Amino acid sequence: MTVANEPRTGSQDRSEDSASGDALGSEAVLPARGPVRRLFSGTPVYIFLFDVLLVAGFTILSPNHVFWSWGNEEAVMGNASEAFLLAAGATVMLAAGAFDLSLGANVILSSVAGGILLEHMTNQTTLDASAAGCLLAVLVCVATGGTVGFVNGFLITKLRVNSLIATLGTTGICTGLAFLFVHGADITGLPTNLQEDFGLNYIEYVPPPTFIALVILLWFWVVLRFSRYGMRTLAIGSNRASAERAGVFVGRHIHTLMILGGLMAGLAGFFDIARLGTTDTTGHTLDSLAALTAVVVGGTPLHGGRANMFGTLWGAVLAYVILDGLIVMGLSTFYQEVATGSVLIIAVAIDANRARRRE
Amino acid sequence: MVISSDSEPVAIAGIGISKRFGHVQALTNASVTVHPGEVVALLGDNGAGKSTFVKILLGIYSADSGQVVVNDDEVELASIQDAQRRGVEAVHQDLALAPDLSVVDNFFLGHEVIRRGPLGHLGILARKSMRGDAAQALRSLAIELPSLEVPVRELSGGQRQAIAIARAVMWARSVVLLDEPTAALGARQSEIVCQLMRTVASKGLGVLVISHDLPRILQVADSVSILWRGNTVRTAPAADLTVPDIVATMVGYKGNVA
Repeated sequence: MTVANEPRTGSQDRSEDSASGDALGSEAVLPARGPVRRLFSGTPVYIFLFDVLLVAGFTILSPNHVFWSWGNEEAVMGNASEAFLLAAGATVMLAAGAFDLSLGANVILSSVAGGILLEHMTNQTTLDASAAGCLLAVLVCVATGGTVGFVNGFLITKLRVNSLIATLGTTGICTGLAFLFVHGADITGLPTNLQEDFGLNYIEYVPPPTFIALVILLWFWVVLRFSRYGMRTLAIGSNRASAERAGVFVGRHIHTLMILGGLMAGLAGFFDIARLGTTDTTGHTLDSLAALTAVVVGGTPLHGGRANMFGTLWGAVLAYVILDGLIVMGLSTFYQEVATGSVLIIAVAIDANRARRRE
Repeated sequence: MVISSDSEPVAIAGIGISKRFGHVQALTNASVTVHPGEVVALLGDNGAGKSTFVKILLGIYSADSGQVVVNDDEVELASIQDAQRRGVEAVHQDLALAPDLSVVDNFFLGHEVIRRGPLGHLGILARKSMRGDAAQALRSLAIELPSLEVPVRELSGGQRQAIAIARAVMWARSVVLLDEPTAALGARQSEIVCQLMRTVASKGLGVLVISHDLPRILQVADSVSILWRGNTVRTAPAADLTVPDIVATMVGYKGNVA
């Protein structure tokens, strides 16, 4: 039989003492940095400065300094929308320590799904499609992307397959399915009004897809920084078991993150057909690599727990500046793939070094 | 022995708990009761079943047989969230903190406060009020931290321990379970953690603590339950026990019957 004693007065007295200077946790600690200082310091600033340096370098070196021209800016801006979307999605997933290598294949499959629909909705004489048809195509692309994300999430959280392996597997499945649907040849002749009014249009110097991608990226920053969803995402990346014990439904949360990443890939798939007027089944094989590179270069650690959305933005810009610089300089774009791979390895090495220093 | 005939209120109790993992019988008819305002020490050698018992009280494992009572109600805890809903909180041996999150965020993880108005519909956190409540919780336990905004990673072991305890106390309505709360601490900090346990109990919460620090735990506990090979072999007021007594019971030299 247990006995419920009155709390011991001696112990009580000692607990009062604890308020007088000896308290647990009274050791010195580094002061916290304010939000403004945090925004203008660290990795995003370095990457941004590196971007500026590269732009300056390419401008000086390019024939007639053509790198710094409106035509070139148009090209970079138009291309970057999909990279921004994928990198923003990859940042949110990696914040929780989850990888999605299937982003590029998801873009291909989603664009093929949307392309098949648009092919049937395009008026063959005017080569235009109705607004409702285009809207339906957005939904089909996004739904396809979200479904792939759902499958990834199911594999990772329910079947407990490692996220690298699960998404590597779905990469193969998505790519294969896309080729099967188009019988190996890209769908061409998609509505021209979709390109003119949306994909290749400019509103105040910014293509609509790029504008939408930037708004989404900014929203993801708000979510990670200020919302419950973001806080739980970072907690899972920081220490999964702790998040679980704190009452977070970790599996369910990671599942929603994978779907979110898939939705971004689906939207990127729609942007792709809206810009090109055709599907591009061979053009996205390295998209996941590029997205992951942008995220890691931007300062989000591979294990998650922290996320740096503005770093991701400048990291994604970096890849396009390099690609565009190589084109303008008349070099093979294959160098860009070499550069992206190298930058990823260097960024991960720097991340590992940082982690070691912290320990 | 133990409780069902006891008319005193029960903060938490496991009664006649048995649990088997494959070929290993971790618990056999183990019983421990904690009353409100009481510190109960759950002692035992390695492998005696202490952690398993606590995990059953937390809803992490389900018992093969036996009852779990929280606030005088027999309950079935299917998950840690179930236990939390009934006001049961724990300080785990590894503290279960997210090192990259700030002190405030760690306090509110799983219990976040959302802003009112349209921003609330978007799940935006009310960090200002969270900060105020966390500071208040720390103050009420006389815990001093220089900042609530730094990531927990940048704090010392003692500071992290303080946060884990204060967080559990803040959300616990019935009972706080502590698994080896002083294992990673120096003598001075261990002393302060023990004082914290008394402060928590004086607020009317039940406290169940697993510890190997016998001399210190004997000073702080009201009652001691000793597990041996998955059985509760002894439950007695702490004042009636000595360290050699406890050690002898823990290792089975006191005529324990398995």
